[in-house]
Formats: sequence, C-alpha cells, structure tokens
Amino acid sequence: MTSTPELAGRAGRPTATPAGPLHRPSELTPTIDVSGLVDADGGLLDRAIFTDHQIYQQELRRVFAPSWLFLAHTDQFRRPGDFFTTYMGEDPVIVTMDKSRAVRAYLNSCRHRGARVCRADAGTTRNFTCTYHGWAYDLEGRLVSVPNREGYPDRFDTADWGLVEVPRVENHRGLIFGTWNPRAPSLREALGGMAWYMDAMLDHDGAGTEVVGGVHKWVLEGNWKLSAEQFATDWYHVNMSHASALMLLAPAGKSPRDEIVHRAGRQYVDPNGHGAGFPVHPKNRFDALAVHQWFDYEAARARLGDARVEGPMTNGHATVFPNFSYLPVNGSVRVWHPKGPDRMEVWAWTLVDRSMPDEVKEAQRLYNLRTFGPSGVFEADDGENWSEVQAISRGFVTNSVPLNYQMGLGSEREDGRYPGKTSELYSDAAGRAFYRRWQSLMNTPAWYEVDR
Amino acid sequence: MSTTSDRVATPFLAADDRHSDLSTHFEVEQFYYREAELLDECRFSEWLELLADDLVYWMPTRTDRLRRQQALSVAARGEAAFYDETKSSLEWRIRRFDSGTAWAEDPPSRTRHLITNVRVRHANPTDDLAATGADGDTAVYAVRSNFLVYRNRLQREENLFAGERTDILRRTGDGLLIVRRTILLDQNVLLAKNISIFF
Repeated sequence: MTSTPELAGRAGRPTATPAGPLHRPSELTPTIDVSGLVDADGGLLDRAIFTDHQIYQQELRRVFAPSWLFLAHTDQFRRPGDFFTTYMGEDPVIVTMDKSRAVRAYLNSCRHRGARVCRADAGTTRNFTCTYHGWAYDLEGRLVSVPNREGYPDRFDTADWGLVEVPRVENHRGLIFGTWNPRAPSLREALGGMAWYMDAMLDHDGAGTEVVGGVHKWVLEGNWKLSAEQFATDWYHVNMSHASALMLLAPAGKSPRDEIVHRAGRQYVDPNGHGAGFPVHPKNRFDALAVHQWFDYEAARARLGDARVEGPMTNGHATVFPNFSYLPVNGSVRVWHPKGPDRMEVWAWTLVDRSMPDEVKEAQRLYNLRTFGPSGVFEADDGENWSEVQAISRGFVTNSVPLNYQMGLGSEREDGRYPGKTSELYSDAAGRAFYRRWQSLMNTPAWYEVDR
Repeated sequence: MSTTSDRVATPFLAADDRHSDLSTHFEVEQFYYREAELLDECRFSEWLELLADDLVYWMPTRTDRLRRQQALSVAARGEAAFYDETKSSLEWRIRRFDSGTAWAEDPPSRTRHLITNVRVRHANPTDDLAATGADGDTAVYAVRSNFLVYRNRLQREENLFAGERTDILRRTGDGLLIVRRTILLDQNVLLAKNISIFF
C-alpha cells in the first residue's frame, strides 16, 4: 500500500507514490500571496477571490487538500463492498466499507492511465475494475489483477500500485470526513468548539441519525465560497431573499410573524473558520408539524441543555470550514463541491433521527424537499442570489470594487451562555472568520510543500 | 423484461394492453396541449384545475448504477425526489409566485413545453383511483408521454429538461383530471440551478 506519511512531500506531491526522477517544476504551481485580498479585521473583501483561476488552483491545493472534507454518512455503508462516490475538492473519491467493516476512501483514479475505476454513484461491489485496461483493485485498495502482468519489469511490484488512499477518515456522530493531510489534527480537534453546535442537530437523544436514500445534486453558476460563507454567517438575507417563502409559512393571509422576522439570536464564530447562526427563543420548534408533535423537547433539554434547545437545535444555519453546511430545522446537510472559480455542484442529504417513527421521517423528508431541495421554496431563491453575484463579477470595474463584511464588527464576545466567541444573529462575524481562515491556509505551505 | 419506465408506472397501477380509441387519444393529446399552454403562460391557478384532489405528483432523482443494479437507478418512493407533491403542496408552491418576492421566478422564466410520443392505454383501475364521486364514471387511462421543456431566464440563462411522464388520467363530469403523474427527468445531477417550473 501507498500510505507512508513520512514519504509525503518529498517530491512535492500530496501522496506518497513511486515517482522515480519525476519532479514537478514550481512554475506549474505558482503561489499568490493573498494578504491583500482579505481584510478580516476591517471587513473588506476583494472580489478577485471569487473569480481568479490561479487563486482557485491554489485553493484546491492549500485549502481543500489539507482540510477535513465531508464524504458521506455512516448510514450509507451497511455491508462490506457498499460504496459511494464523491469528490474532495475536484478529486474524485470512492468511499467504501472494506472486509473488516472499516470505512475507507480512495482516489477514484486508476494508477495505470488514470481513468475512474468506479463510475457508479453508489452500489455494492467486490472490487473496482478499471474499464480501460482492466487493472482491478479490492476493497482494501490493493491492486489484485493486472492483465499481461508478465509484460512488466521485475521491479514492478503490485504493492506499489494500489489505489491512492485518503490517509485519514474519521466520523463525528455519523458524519464521515476525510483529509489528504497525514499530519492534520484529529477531526474532533479540527471541529473544536463547533462540535457543541453540531451536536445540537446530531445528538437529540443518543440514538443518532440516518439519511434518506439518495442525494440531491444540482449545479450552480457561482463560486463555492458564496454559499459556504452564507451558511456560516448570514441570517441577514432571510427576510429579503426568502420573503415569499416566509409568507408561505405564515398563517394564510397574514404577514410573517414578527418574532420570525425580528428575532434575537447568536452567531458562533469559530477560529478555524466554522460558523453557525441561530435565533434564540424559548419556544423555538421544528417547522414540520409531525416532527414538532413527535419531538420530546423536555428530554432534549435534559440532554443538550436549555441554551441549545432554544437556539442551534432547531432554526439556524451552519458551515464547517471549508465546504460542508447544514440546516438543523429540516436536517439538510450539503457539500458545495468546487467546479472551477465560477461553478459549484451542490450535493445535499436529508438527515433524520434514527428514533423517529417512519411517518415522522417522511414528514421531515417532505418538508426538506419542499423548502431546501433543488425545487425548494427557500433554496431556489438562494441559488438565484449566488448565480447573480457570480454572473456580473467578471466585469473589470465590478471585480475591483471591494465588498462589505462589516456588520457586527467588534461584536464577538463570550456571552456566558453560548460557548466560544459569539456575535449577534445579524452579523458578518463568522464570515470574517471564514475568510481569515481561508487567507491563512492560502498563505501557508501545505504539508507536502514543507521540506522535511 | 422489466424496464425503468415500467418500474415507475407500476407502483400506481397496472395498465392493460388495450390502446385507447382514436377519439380518446385525440382528447388526451388536446388535454396535454392545453395543459402546456397554461404552464407556458404562467396561468397556474387554471393549471391546478386540471389536477385531481387526490393527486400524487412525483419526480424522483436518478443515479448512475452498475448495469446489474439498474433497478436502483430511479429513486424509490420515500427517497430523494425533485418533486413529491400533493395538490395542496403544489397550490402552496404556486401561491409564492403571487407574492411579488419569489425572486427565482421574478422576473419569470420563459418556458416552452413540448409534449410528444403520447401513448394512451386503458387502465385497470384500483378502487382508490376509480373513486370519482357522483356521476359514477370511472374511466381511467394510463398515459405515457415524452417532454422537452425549454427554460430561458434573465438575459441568457438556458435549461433543457427532457424526460417522460407517466400519468393516470381520470374522466369526470368536468373532463379529464390528472390523478397521478410520475416525471422521469433524463438527468443525474440536475443541470439547472433550481426547479421552479412544473412538468
């Protein structure tokens, strides 16, 4: 197998693979100093970070490659051989359960000529066979079949040519993340204070969560940061962007209830770039009626504490840096897959509590589909914003006019109720932290760039 | 051999092998053209009048599967869907357009619904589907049709949606009504930023 972290970086490559005398010239990976593109202290942003191709390439290698990225939910793997294919940044990966029932992830690219070795979205298999020349790999990533094996030189050892494995795969309460960075802190450590907020969605009663079958996937003509940032920091857009959806949720013939529009709340600001915003109200509830009626709020209070039940357990938005976001109210969890500076693909799952009766799970599924699915009455208007922002951002003058992230400047503090630094519900604080983290990663050589 | 389309149709009802007569076929085609006109002209409240109160309007997602696992390539009932609607949830969605703040459709899309390959068969109505009320007329048709829907928005946004609809139509005193509609879009990743139109 290939995962010898000590080798990583020797040839300036993110994985330890036989490279012989190959040496990639540094001109192929020019590095831009992004210090002047983000003013996290003053709340200003240069729009070039949403459009520039060179910056985008640098993001793939310095933001995505070293970070923990969401892969799948543990519920998607029940038997050895169950697999799901997805992306880490723009790298295609297979997530699968091996014969010892461990969930592992591999680069979905044949070591011979580089084609994908698995072209299904999900399923069950015993091995992954490249349809180009027939190299085949088992569930442990080992190269187990090479047609015309005798044609290779003596030094050819199949042990050197297994699938490139994602060296670190860990899960937090069912959410599986992976990173290419062999020296990354543990997932739990990387989530840091964010885990307390995530658990308000993932740990209602100790029985855990599962996912509705299938993944909603759709394209958006917008930079991935536009949506990741919004889910970290932006309750501000709700009243305007979602005015029509709020009207639908209000009793017939009435405008949205005042406490929805003008609520107080908090926004969690994580030093690693994560963020979560949520209204705070003693009677916060799940929107789907069947979920609300089934849910035991008192038991949740005993388990999670009043602060979480009255805040991040129900309403709100959140992003785990860089590109995983979720909405507690309807169990929508999603990844913003980057597809170039101007495009992304949204992959969204619906999370339900394992303990829910079937009809309650169904109610949550339908509520999510109708609000935040690709045909959802909220989601459609979000997509409109991001594509609109992106569409005009190539204009020379447009692109050179800085954007404002100054709401709640200096408001971050320990409030004694919500752990870590929090700001107001309406604030750009977590957005500033998101871009501060982005800037720091962009300007820091990744593990494979450091000469050890 | 079981086909993908059969899989989609069978949850609701088994069609028998009798094709409709010419006049019924003509009537169904005209019904669809009328429906397309209402959708393309954004006359959604009139479109709703073509839907039965017990409507199930379903547009499942589709995935790439190995050939031996093709049976799983269309999401099952209860799995991820683009639409899984009742008449009242469609009314709810349509009510949004009148708010003046449904930005994804304001300015509205220009759409053109092309409906082709109409195949009308008599159906074996279940008790549930045949329940029509006072007039006692229980004729039910199983109709498959193909669609090509073009959407154009703002200055230059374009989407093409191709696929098949499998409908159950019920004849009532007021004409035909759509009781079931299953929409099979020929896409895996939805190649549009949203679905804010109907099929």
